[in-house]
Amino acid sequence: MKRSYVSVALLLAVLFMNIIVTQFMVHQYFYENYTNTIVAAVINVILFPAAFLIYKKGVKIND
Amino acid sequence: MTDKNNKIPFNEDNYTHNINRNNERKLDRRGFMKTLVGAAGVFAVSSLPWGVLAAKELNGLGDKKYPKQKITDVKSLPIGDAVEFSFPGEHDSAILIRLSEEKYVAYQNACTHLRCPVFWKKDEGEMLCPCHHGKFDVETGAPTAGPPRRPLPEIYVKVENGSVYAVGVKRYEA
Ligand code: FES
Repeated sequence: MKRSYVSVALLLAVLFMNIIVTQFMVHQYFYENYTNTIVAAVINVILFPAAFLIYKKGVKIND
Repeated sequence: MTDKNNKIPFNEDNYTHNINRNNERKLDRRGFMKTLVGAAGVFAVSSLPWGVLAAKELNGLGDKKYPKQKITDVKSLPIGDAVEFSFPGEHDSAILIRLSEEKYVAYQNACTHLRCPVFWKKDEGEMLCPCHHGKFDVETGAPTAGPPRRPLPEIYVKVENGSVYAVGVKRYEA
């Protein structure tokens, strides 16, 4: 794997996290654990700027 | 000018030679990363309503509060008897059953099948719906026979100074 694909791998990891957190969030909502739901929602929201930063970094380094 | 326009530059059988797509359809590394960031954005936006709903529930907005309402006097309700009332609204008919000296249960008595009024059959010790013979367990409100599939909504009751009060409706849980 080339070094330039590190950020791609990171982004894929972010996406994976997104999926897991989303499912956790929905389930916790229906189990009426609302605090957990909010925590998961916040994580999901924070993952977006994180993904954006990873993208910026990856683009700058490699082209 | 006219001269130029009338010239055929070269022999060709398609007319798209001057459209340069510049590889815009190629999914390169950068484009792929953009897609991934976009997906993260979609996830972020779509989790907002869940967070808002959860926050609402936490603030107790989902649990509606009704003013407590007197149903009847303890004296006028012998053990094993039932009385009808309406709670929380005047069209939400409900039934209060005295099971023992201390134990009272109350349900909204619109059948969970097609909303016929469920009544208390004292000698058989069960709640019966006259329309299609649905039966409900008097202790829990759970359906025991017939078409209904969901329990009757339970009403919380409280006994105070010789009177029975309705204080709230149990939240529906699937
Ligand atoms: S309405 Fe009660 S059983 Fe059908």
